[in-house]
Amino acid sequence: MVTPLDIIKKKRAEAVARIIGRGYLSTKRVYVGMATCEIAAGSKEVMEVFRQSIAKGGLKDVYLSQKGCAGRCNLEPTVEIVEEGKIPVKYGKVTPERARQIIERHLKNNEVIEEWLI
Amino acid sequence: MRAKSILTLCDGPTCIYKNSRAIRDALETELKNQGLSDEVGIHISGCLGMCSKGPILIVNPGYTIYGGVTVQDIPEIVQEHLVRRRPVARLAVQEDHLYNRFFRIFGDVDFFGRQMRIALRNCGIIDPEKIDDYLSVRGYEALAKVLTAMSPREVIDEVKKSGLRGRGGAGFPTGLKWEFTARETGNEKYVICNADEGDPGAFMDRSAIEGDPHTVLEGIIIGGYAIGAAKGIVYIRAEYPLAIQRLEKAIAAARENGLLGKRILGSDFSFDMEIRLGAGAFVCGEETALIHSIEGRRGMPTPRPPYPSVKGLFGKPTLINNVETWANIPVIMLDGGEWFSTVGTETSKGTKVFALAGKVHNTGLIEVPMGTTLREIIYDIGGGIPNGKKFKAVQTGGPSGGCLPEEYLDTQIDYESLAAAGSIMGSGGMIVIDEDSCMVNLAKFFLEFTQDESCGKCTPCRGGTKRMLEILTRITEGNGKEGDIEKLERLGQMIKKASLCGLGQSAPNPVLSTLKNFRHEYEEHIFQKKCRAGICSALVTYEITEKCIGCGACRRVCPVNAISGKRQERHAINQETCIKCGQCFTTCKFDAIVKA
Amino acid sequence: MGKSITIHINDKPYKVDPGQTIMQAADKLGFHIPRLCYHPKLSIEGACRVCIVEVEGMKNYVASCSYPVNDGMKIRTNTPELRRARRDIVELILDNHPLDCHICDRNGNCELQRLSYSMGIKARHFEGERKNYDEDLSSQAVVRNPNKCILCGRCVRICSEIQHVHNLSQAYRGFRTVVMPAYNMPFSESVCTTCGQCINVCPTAAFVEKSYTQELFERLNDPGLVKVVQFAPSVRAAIGEAFGLEPGHNMEGQLVAALRKLGFDYIFDTQFAADLTIMEEASEFLERIQNKGKLPMITSCSSAWMKCMEQFYPDLIDNVSTCKSPMSMNGAMIKSYFAEKIQVDPKKILSVAVMCCTAKKYEADRPELMFDGLRGVDIVVTTRETAWMIKSAGIDFLNIEPEKTDAPLGLSSGAGAIFGTTGGVMEAAIRTAYELYTGETLVDIELENIRGLQGIKEAAIQMDGQELRVAVAHGLGNACGLLDLVRMDPGRYQFVEIMGCPGGCIGGGGQPYAGANSIPLDEEVLQKRAKALYDLDRGKTIRRSHDNPDIQKLYREFLQRPLSATSHKYLHTHYQAKLPRGIIPDRAIY
Repeated sequence: MVTPLDIIKKKRAEAVARIIGRGYLSTKRVYVGMATCEIAAGSKEVMEVFRQSIAKGGLKDVYLSQKGCAGRCNLEPTVEIVEEGKIPVKYGKVTPERARQIIERHLKNNEVIEEWLI
Repeated sequence: MRAKSILTLCDGPTCIYKNSRAIRDALETELKNQGLSDEVGIHISGCLGMCSKGPILIVNPGYTIYGGVTVQDIPEIVQEHLVRRRPVARLAVQEDHLYNRFFRIFGDVDFFGRQMRIALRNCGIIDPEKIDDYLSVRGYEALAKVLTAMSPREVIDEVKKSGLRGRGGAGFPTGLKWEFTARETGNEKYVICNADEGDPGAFMDRSAIEGDPHTVLEGIIIGGYAIGAAKGIVYIRAEYPLAIQRLEKAIAAARENGLLGKRILGSDFSFDMEIRLGAGAFVCGEETALIHSIEGRRGMPTPRPPYPSVKGLFGKPTLINNVETWANIPVIMLDGGEWFSTVGTETSKGTKVFALAGKVHNTGLIEVPMGTTLREIIYDIGGGIPNGKKFKAVQTGGPSGGCLPEEYLDTQIDYESLAAAGSIMGSGGMIVIDEDSCMVNLAKFFLEFTQDESCGKCTPCRGGTKRMLEILTRITEGNGKEGDIEKLERLGQMIKKASLCGLGQSAPNPVLSTLKNFRHEYEEHIFQKKCRAGICSALVTYEITEKCIGCGACRRVCPVNAISGKRQERHAINQETCIKCGQCFTTCKFDAIVKA
Repeated sequence: MGKSITIHINDKPYKVDPGQTIMQAADKLGFHIPRLCYHPKLSIEGACRVCIVEVEGMKNYVASCSYPVNDGMKIRTNTPELRRARRDIVELILDNHPLDCHICDRNGNCELQRLSYSMGIKARHFEGERKNYDEDLSSQAVVRNPNKCILCGRCVRICSEIQHVHNLSQAYRGFRTVVMPAYNMPFSESVCTTCGQCINVCPTAAFVEKSYTQELFERLNDPGLVKVVQFAPSVRAAIGEAFGLEPGHNMEGQLVAALRKLGFDYIFDTQFAADLTIMEEASEFLERIQNKGKLPMITSCSSAWMKCMEQFYPDLIDNVSTCKSPMSMNGAMIKSYFAEKIQVDPKKILSVAVMCCTAKKYEADRPELMFDGLRGVDIVVTTRETAWMIKSAGIDFLNIEPEKTDAPLGLSSGAGAIFGTTGGVMEAAIRTAYELYTGETLVDIELENIRGLQGIKEAAIQMDGQELRVAVAHGLGNACGLLDLVRMDPGRYQFVEIMGCPGGCIGGGGQPYAGANSIPLDEEVLQKRAKALYDLDRGKTIRRSHDNPDIQKLYREFLQRPLSATSHKYLHTHYQAKLPRGIIPDRAIY
């Protein structure tokens, strides 16, 4: 008999497959905080910069996702970059301008911009 | 200088038994020997819930968990991990507690290193709008487990075992509440999620729903199964459009995936959910008022008993828990009530989410184990008071909490300790106050809120808070009279003990606690007509000191021409004319104008 | 009831029944805990907090009106700390109250006054801002004065729970809370049925009837007018209470004498018009039966019910009898038949009605009841207003020599008397209809099944082998329940009696206030008033309306026969759907 637990395990496997299908295994994953507080601090515009950059083909091999609020209110909007085998990096008070620089310097040229780190 | 690494050492009873205190000494010695004392911080944590593998040492950044650590292992860990940055694989353990994932990502900041994320474990990690993300982090596994292998009775027993208490403020044991509702007969019952977060400046519930709506849903569905309800309602304030939108999306996705609706996950259990919007009345956070609001009536509390567990929504047995309480349920089901009960203190188990605000470096949303002290929260997590100001008080529990002064900083966060100190846990507001704040004015601010939000039903709350506010107003305006303090106390005590609902019963708290801890400030206001923080404008006088060089800037900015003086001579303020607007004070570049 | 349990009140043990509140238990043991918002007929509000007590082991005080007794419970009702808290609570109410007792309608009969006295409030500690709202004088019957309101919520509860009108609710919050109709509509535009039950239960003068006593005093002194008055059955059964008598005294003779002393030239009895109503209504009913007209026929005497029907049951308009109420019928006869008799221009007649009812003030003003451009009744005063006028004019009501009503509109049958109590109209109608239909006299004329205070009553009467099924409801809430049945199953009854107030007219919105030792709308009081009317009926030799010789004479001389063209002109009317603001039409019509 198929139990609810079996069903949910199957669902999880499918979900993981779909996430991977969306490019989760890219070398770099970028998360932009998108809760009310982050949006109020300007994260929508920041998200747009990343989105545009990917859409125009300037950014490749990047998995972009939104996330909820982690609680760092005074440093919002936050952007987090996770790279396989490296310690995750979080940028605070990201503006569209900073986002563009993060794309150029960090995502394209692997330079961690120390002064904006949380 | 900020530490480059943080070592978290579990100080739970099991780890202590397994010699963790000796490990701490060895660590300190070794770090000193290696000259790393400045670079590496040691954080002593309450039980981390990984007792079987203890003693536990977590190294951040990277969130490497070392288990079964002995004194002999310390030099190797320091040398290899901290100096050469190569984790010691031999000692590393994989502990798959749900909350660990958060720290794999967030473990490397002081702010997060001292927290423990159970309710908010996925907030800031997953995409809240994608059910796939939630499923990938063992989402709905707790529900599946419950439906596969647990009877409703067993679910309730697990919640009871966990020691979880209501996170909405009153701290009633959650398991008991479930049991009371479950034992009522009749097949029409309701489950309600109280997301009517009304405390000014609090956003715990909003963040939880915006960051991880499925966790809350999963908790509610499990609650429905446990008490035998087929219908759940999330009562959320209309001022949270994004949270509502994400909740709607989550409910739709859950339905699509057979997690809501008829025969959930192929079981015999059917349950569905809807959202009701509150119109932003603070009192609707009170459960009976909330029920009336859902029923389409005026949101006013009614006396209890009968409790909602017996006679709730539409007169049927109803289980109401708040968002944070629900968010803990899936973890309890997966990791077990026993595990949950290892976190926290004797009477208060698990973690508590706080909205840390006010005069503190790191404002934000935090989740800490019960038993963490106020000092740890304010100084370690919050980073202390900015601009070199002195700490004055911390206000916990939202607008109806109490203000605790410095001597209470080592109070542990749990329901009983906070109550004993004269404050409340509340739903989790925490406001840090520095020396620039006037406690009388602050108490007035909070009372203004509760007074305004009183539903107007019962006399003590409706009339009493109004009179208290009038007295406070006249004190801050310099018209305080002898006997005012006694009147405030008399009214406050009466309102506390005689009001109909929790709003009134706690509304006098800010006043009573400041009267207890900062009585001198009230006395100064009333008898010396003085406000030491310079906040109550009617009690402030501006004076020009000998620092004045006679530039005339203040004279020109004064809107009522109260300042006079010759060029390059010390100016003076005519106190009769002065309206205390403070413009001269902010204009003076030479600090020559002082408040007195 | 389960096994009795032990509770301690003020350190002494008592055996009490479980399943009751602390207040109920204490009442039975002789401890009267002070109270204000509590009313035994209404839901528990728990708002005033005056009834708080101390219970050992509880952090806070407990409202005794809502908290159940438990075995071993230790209760204290009168500790110094508790007394001070209660006192402070009542002072908080007073601090937001006008304190103009000496010029208040409820002066001397105000629950807040009595409470304040018993709390021993001799000084004021917390005075501050006081609310200031305009009075709502828009209604012809009910005046709302938010300044005197202490927010006990009794009016809100009686309007929704007993009357199902739901006109009142608290609005705004905190200190600014006010009781008002939806959208703060003027009362005249609201769904208020003017039943006046809010006045009955109000502990202060936040609701009072619109008073016409000053106007009446003035016009009684106008030498150019013929001053005529009629008074309702229930007035005589209750007015004694306003003079300190126990409920249940029939004061008809004293009332007639007092009215004459007040300056009225002719004293008529609404009971006479009740007999007239029965003649018309019973005939209308039989006509509907014989001509397959709309059934069930529903009575139309109660003015509050008429407004309720027009608003909430307009689909039943055709079921409602076209008969005017007895008051309006009498008014019409005064200004036609009687005016002709005494040869006075009807415009020179001042027609006054002394009523147990506030809604009659509204009814008297209804344009559809006018004839020849005239109002049947010029001024309606309630029992309360009349009692005050008698006192104010210095008439020694209790020791006055009783007098008799005047002809030709003063003589009544026993059937007319019982009109004032629930079931009475039906009983009176059956007494006549039976005879009209069967040609035989009904022997057993006391219909016990439709007497008493049960909310909805049913009976079946055999008439010539045909079964007549009737139902009676009193209080608009019960009426709504009954009419919902009628909507679902129109064939269930042939005849339905509705009275808008609990107990019928005897519990009307214009009756004397409850005194210091009773509660508003106490069932015992209602029963005693009803008994006074039933005794009056039993004491009469003429107990059927059609046997009333003056009624027979009226038909002979003026109306010819029931339902004649003259009858229709003066005694019948038609009603129209009224959709007040905020009522969605298709929901109102089901």
